[in-house]
Amino acid sequence: MANSSNTYYDLYRHGSLGVALTDALDELIGDERIDPQLAMKVLTQFDRVIAETLNEKVKARLSFKGSLDTYRFCDEVWTFLIRNVTFKLDSGGQTIQADKVKIVSCSSKKTEEK
Amino acid sequence: MSNTQVGPVYDTIIAEVINAVRVDFEENGVDDGALEDLKKTWQHKLSQMDLAQFPWDPKPDPPATLSAASGPPTATPVTAASSNYAQTAGQGLSLPGAPNGVPMKQEPGFAPGEPTIKQEPGVQPSLQGYNPALGTAAQRAALALESQYGQRAAASISAIHSGMSQVNPAAPQQPQQGQRPGQQQQVPQHVNPQQQYRQGVAASIQQRMQQVPRPGQNGLPTSQVDGTPDAAEDDTKTIIMDRTEIDAYLHAQLAARGKEMEGGGLMVPLKKVKKSAKARRSAEKRGDAEGVANVDGGLDDDVKSEEDDEDAINSDLDDPDDGADDDEDDDESMGHMMLCMYDKVQRVKNKWKCTLKDGVLTVNGKEYVFMKATGEYEW
Repeated sequence: MANSSNTYYDLYRHGSLGVALTDALDELIGDERIDPQLAMKVLTQFDRVIAETLNEKVKARLSFKGSLDTYRFCDEVWTFLIRNVTFKLDSGGQTIQADKVKIVSCSSKKTEEK
Repeated sequence: MSNTQVGPVYDTIIAEVINAVRVDFEENGVDDGALEDLKKTWQHKLSQMDLAQFPWDPKPDPPATLSAASGPPTATPVTAASSNYAQTAGQGLSLPGAPNGVPMKQEPGFAPGEPTIKQEPGVQPSLQGYNPALGTAAQRAALALESQYGQRAAASISAIHSGMSQVNPAAPQQPQQGQRPGQQQQVPQHVNPQQQYRQGVAASIQQRMQQVPRPGQNGLPTSQVDGTPDAAEDDTKTIIMDRTEIDAYLHAQLAARGKEMEGGGLMVPLKKVKKSAKARRSAEKRGDAEGVANVDGGLDDDVKSEEDDEDAINSDLDDPDDGADDDEDDDESMGHMMLCMYDKVQRVKNKWKCTLKDGVLTVNGKEYVFMKATGEYEW
């Protein structure tokens, strides 16, 4: 998907991996060991690497059902708030229940075009 | 998709990112230690979240010692980098420094107001030199009237006369107030009929001129109105500016406004921004700490306040991604969030179907990654 493009979503920065990285970078900046520009470069690299890795390394599938509470489509970003969700993992038929899940989703086509 | 896949995948991502930025670190003159610390802190923080079993987890002790060590070694003499940072911080801090400077700047913001008052009195001398210019303009106007309309201009000329008669009574009053004798004295000095025409035209032009700037003067926060009401009235009546002067005046006003804005206006001092960011982050951390405990069900109040926050935050930020992020941050503390790409989102009446891919899902304190996900839900 995004292999040919130079721009990647910074969406994943807000996942746990991204948050951990941001916090770690903040600590280094706070200790004046790196400057903020360098931290931005790291985050940019992170955007690229996580997009590529998820695309290439991950093969898992899942399906989920639930009731949609809120939906929003703004600037090519879908945001869903789903309640009473049941996730089905295809590996081992494991199911996960959650009373509320927020989905934030960027267009996959946009990355291809970019 | 499974939770067990997360560890290796994340490990790969971390390793790749670290390798990718190694060059950047070197170019910035930052030592390898910082990079290593970054990696370890990153891993350590992930481990703290307890989202999955990570490959680096089997050795839980090193992270602890490292996190302890990451405090002191911060004083490592990375002079180049730290000076770099100090510079950038200095640049950034010039604004935060503004809290001191803000009141300072505002006062100048007003002080320029006084200069602008003075400019107006300063207009007097230029007006003296300027009225003749109006006279030539009036000449030109009169000539144009004559040449274009000949006798038909008589009507407008008579109108000009009436305009004169309106102006002239006002003129003697103003010298009484003794504010702008120079320019007012010129008015009655014109005696012969031709000059009266010119004067009349000039007067009508003056009237128009006065009408033009008036709304501007009222609209703008002029400090010229600080005098007695009489003086203010006098100002509006007697200040006659040509276009360039009006432009200059407006420009000065706008510039003064701009200056006021710079410190205390729309721009938010960096410190505040940082503070709010920190507050959010600490809130997030707290949330993370509590998140696991809270997972079994958020209070309705929490949900509501979250949604309020979302709206508030979204309005501030241009980038929809960023706006969404903050929501996610809140939601992440609840431990229920999916970040992904969408291939298709379809809706038939209230039934939605979507095809998602390349996602990260955090649910019930566990993290999952998936290549493809299909969702069906009803609204």
